Amino acid sequence: MTDMSIGRAVKRTEDLRFITGKGHYLDDFSRPHQTYAAFVRSPHAHAEIKKINKTKALKVPGVVAVLTGDELAADKIGTLICGWVIKGKDGSPHKAPPHPALATKKVRYVGDHVAVVIGETLDAAKDGAEAVEVEYRTLPAAVDTASAHKPGQPQLHAEAPNNLCYDWEIGDRAKVDAAFSGAAHAVKLQFVNNRLVPNAIEPRAALADYDTGSGEFTLYTTSQNPHVARLVLSAFIGIAPEHKLRVIAPDVGGGFGSKIFIYAEETVALWAARKIGRPVKWTAERSESFVSDAHGRDHVTTAELATDKDGKFLAMRVNTVANLGAYLSTFASAVPTYLYATLLAGQYKTPLIYCDVQGVFTNTTPVDAYRGAGRPEATYVVERLVEEMAAKLKIAPDELRRRNFVQANEFPYTTPVIHQYDCGDFQRAQREALRVADVAGFAQRKADAKKRGKLRGLGYSSYIEACGIAPSAAVGSLGGGVGLWESATIRFNPTGNVSIHVGTHSHGQSHQTTFAQVVADRLGVPFESVEIVEGDTARTPFGMGTYGSRSAAVGLSAVSKAADKIVEKGKKIAGHLLEAAPQDIEFRDGKFRVMGTDKEVGIAQVAFAAYVPHNYPKDLEPGFEETAFYDPLNFSFPAGTHVAEVEIDPETGTTEIVNYSAVDDFGTIINPMIVEGQVHGGIVQGVGQALLEGAVYDADGQLASGSYMDYTMPRADNVPSFKVETIVVPSPLNPLGVKGCGEAGAIAAPAAVMNAVHDALRAVGVDKVEMPATPHRVWSAIRNAKKKAAK
Amino acid sequence: MYEFEYQKPKTLAAAADVLKKKKDAKLMAGGMTLIPTLKLRLAKLSHVVDLAGMKDLVGIKATKAGVTIGAMTTHGAVAASAAVKKAIPALAHLADGIGDPAVRNRGTIGGSISNNDPAADYPAGLVGLGATVVTTQRKIPADKFFLGMFETALKRGEIVKAVEFPIPKRAAYMKFPNPASRYAIVGVFVAETADGVRVAVTGAGGCVFRVPEMEAALAKKFAPESVVGVSIPTDGLNEDIHASAEYRAHLVTVMAKRAVAAAIGG
Amino acid sequence: MEIKGAYRIAATREQVWAALNDPEILKKCLPGCEKLEREGDNAFTATIKTKVGPVSARFSGAVTLQDLDPPNAYRIVGEGKGGVAGFAKGGARVTLRDDAGATVLQYDAEAKVGGKLAQIGSRLILGTARKLADDFFKKFSETVAPGTAAEKVALDAEGQAS
Repeated sequence: MTDMSIGRAVKRTEDLRFITGKGHYLDDFSRPHQTYAAFVRSPHAHAEIKKINKTKALKVPGVVAVLTGDELAADKIGTLICGWVIKGKDGSPHKAPPHPALATKKVRYVGDHVAVVIGETLDAAKDGAEAVEVEYRTLPAAVDTASAHKPGQPQLHAEAPNNLCYDWEIGDRAKVDAAFSGAAHAVKLQFVNNRLVPNAIEPRAALADYDTGSGEFTLYTTSQNPHVARLVLSAFIGIAPEHKLRVIAPDVGGGFGSKIFIYAEETVALWAARKIGRPVKWTAERSESFVSDAHGRDHVTTAELATDKDGKFLAMRVNTVANLGAYLSTFASAVPTYLYATLLAGQYKTPLIYCDVQGVFTNTTPVDAYRGAGRPEATYVVERLVEEMAAKLKIAPDELRRRNFVQANEFPYTTPVIHQYDCGDFQRAQREALRVADVAGFAQRKADAKKRGKLRGLGYSSYIEACGIAPSAAVGSLGGGVGLWESATIRFNPTGNVSIHVGTHSHGQSHQTTFAQVVADRLGVPFESVEIVEGDTARTPFGMGTYGSRSAAVGLSAVSKAADKIVEKGKKIAGHLLEAAPQDIEFRDGKFRVMGTDKEVGIAQVAFAAYVPHNYPKDLEPGFEETAFYDPLNFSFPAGTHVAEVEIDPETGTTEIVNYSAVDDFGTIINPMIVEGQVHGGIVQGVGQALLEGAVYDADGQLASGSYMDYTMPRADNVPSFKVETIVVPSPLNPLGVKGCGEAGAIAAPAAVMNAVHDALRAVGVDKVEMPATPHRVWSAIRNAKKKAAK
Repeated sequence: MYEFEYQKPKTLAAAADVLKKKKDAKLMAGGMTLIPTLKLRLAKLSHVVDLAGMKDLVGIKATKAGVTIGAMTTHGAVAASAAVKKAIPALAHLADGIGDPAVRNRGTIGGSISNNDPAADYPAGLVGLGATVVTTQRKIPADKFFLGMFETALKRGEIVKAVEFPIPKRAAYMKFPNPASRYAIVGVFVAETADGVRVAVTGAGGCVFRVPEMEAALAKKFAPESVVGVSIPTDGLNEDIHASAEYRAHLVTVMAKRAVAAAIGG
Repeated sequence: MEIKGAYRIAATREQVWAALNDPEILKKCLPGCEKLEREGDNAFTATIKTKVGPVSARFSGAVTLQDLDPPNAYRIVGEGKGGVAGFAKGGARVTLRDDAGATVLQYDAEAKVGGKLAQIGSRLILGTARKLADDFFKKFSETVAPGTAAEKVALDAEGQAS
């Protein structure tokens, strides 16, 4: 093991360029004769477009073109797609109304794209956009999630009566109902899973170029998955044949899911570039990002849990109305169904689970996958129910969990909601978490807080997530339109250094470091000699990109497989060089050795021989490059227990997180420092959801929290120093035993924090506070409880 | 941003001249509100008159009588000033809580009070301490300077040069920040001065205001419990997605109580 | 959002009512009103330049008078587009009542904005609307009864002028 091996806290090699301003983000790219795009966006949540008058805009100096949805349609550019078809209770496919990149007859949310103005300069484009006259006939808006599908609401799409996209279910309702009617205890909760705005630090952007000579398009874009973008833009939207479209996603400053999707802006930029014969660049301003990046979550849920007299879980029953926004975004349909309800078993042996989900359209920004995507929502349902049940039964919440955990010797364990958990040790993670969080000392800390006039609470979140998405056959059987395998090419150069070309994409996940660690470890080459190539469809094999904590579990499995192939080929070359049979060659620490001898040759020499094959096996191809595709056998299941401890100032309603401890099982860990960083970031986003962040629409569909004046991003002073530890139960299902760590914090934290908040507030008679538990909400809840008690 | 002419005059007279002659000219101090507004195209100006570089307007002078802070002195400089910390620690504390480090390193006291954002911190400090605003034309007591939401007594072409703060016997500022913007949802400045007790509230209403009932109660007894029973009416208080008028009214009392405690404790 | 207020105006109810229907007076009193031209019986086109702190926006649109009940009450409604800023809509129910030789004017207003103003300025909407409404009715009071200072009337718990 060297200092750069798997398991070492190697410092991120990408940091130097990021910190010194040498990264190449999208806005750093320009093309000769480039123009700029500015979108005319709807100020109304719901309106008919009566007329678009371009005349004034076209007269604005520097305006090159003004383009509308009618022209887009006339050029036979397809509408944006949703890549996952959900089948409803009655077997019918979900309703996917047309989602034009530029609106034609109607606008359906504030920020919807009405026209694009192309200018010689950005200012000219903006001046032009202001001069486009759009005549609207405003319509009443459907904004509220819970009631959007009820009769009498304003209708968004003729194709989706009652704004219903689908009414989907999982589980056996009759059996679950029967279990409830015979149960000793039941709790029922109703809550909102708040809508979040992703807020990646780099706003979305696109730079589209069309080469009239070759007929080739090049799109630079802020994508988490450039090959998927290329596939969708060519096969479905019809911009160009796939081989004539190159998509480049350079350094990308954060995604959290919001850069998976194929949006209107890049579609329009490509189309406009061809139309005007010049490159077109668009970079979102923060105000645009707030209304046009797909939002996350937005559920209204009723959830029930039934137990026997000892607190053994018997059944769970959940109804969720999921707000999908105005149109179906790329993977929107799957998030509140297969990424959500399939995790409702949590870490527990609940034998019967039923969940039905109504996906609804509203006059709001489309909602899609956001860090955790479905799993934070599921964890919130399960862990809030468990905590409330514990309170009801007067059983310590950690004890109630232990009574119901899937035990370490019960894997593989098949839940009643599709998944088969491969491995885990929930009890050990909880035990470690109790130690790290010093739960034993909590009672004293609570008593001390009380003396200071503070309400102290402790909350657990024992979460499980399905990561490493995903086995293609499973995805296909559930309605997904793509395979979710991954790819890697390992290319040795004649001088012995190595380029790794992968289909994943790092936008904060540190692939440059961790992937190099794995390759250096597996092939015994110096860490510094490994280069990771990502984010360019012309330079990398087809891959599905990075999301769902899949880069390590799926992407590195492909790398690992490709490394196996390199070793196999290397043995043949080395055998020839060492005059031994390939099966007598062993490979270790970068050297091929004839077993039982000291005859050996380094992998760099083997590489040189492969490219300068003067002395080379006759039946072997020259070159030292191997590609592997890896389709996972199953999801991976990171799990763990997080413990949050809060103090609430009852006078102002302010919640302070005073302690936060996490013990996670991510399987094999490649770089503990980077894992810790991922966990920190995830927890902070989870804390954001629990206490700070929330997109607020007014009744007319205006986004009232549309800037950092009103949308509360978590900051360093909102969180304590985290205590993060791991246990390692390697996944038996992939070559490295990794599970994924990118989303765990965001999945676990909201429930842990909110359980702590409810624990603290139980003392003053408060039974419910919604997320985000802002000071105003907490204060109001305390005051209402006091009023109620006084009556 | 729409196009405008950028000017950086060398003298206040020259700056005032542009403001008087050009209808759509605007003064820029730190630019912490103006620049974002321009970037959003929510203002169209003919001229931006930048006061940066007027060294005479930068600096803190402390005497036995009081502290004078130049209009172009940044919040960061006030927060870090040993002289302010010694003479009026509450003022240094106030400055230290404005915005974030970037804002504190650019934003200025003159810019802040001339803008008179209803949730800005400085108006509470000025009114709470009974400060005097020194302009190119006159001296204006803080009580007469802040007229309403984004409205001040400044006339066209009149420029703030400095603010003179008398030294209070004791004072403190307590702010309940908007969690997103860190502006004040409610900020209460309490001071026991030579001329009596002053309680100034920012963030709660359209403009900074005093609470005479609290001042009277504190004049009798300068103790936290004196204000506990005093609540302000919700009428006319701000309401937004972060706080109802009722919550703001409640916070005024809580912050006043804590400010008194801090003033005594400090 | 409650935006209510009342003024006591030293004029008869008929005089006040006439003024409420006089576009010249309305134009003079509407804060930032640059243009108010009659389009129909009770309809006007208008341009209003609104300034809130550093933000300024010019709204072009229509002002209409509705639910007329002379000389007791009406509703004045405005709606305008403000270009890049978005749009604004506002209205006020105005009622008049005799009060010892003078008239008490009470208003109950509402305001909505959309687009960029709503997105970034939500904290200021109520305050701005209150101020604009109050500025208008204050100036109106002073215009209808020249030489007198506007006399604000307190509202009781039910929101009625006492």
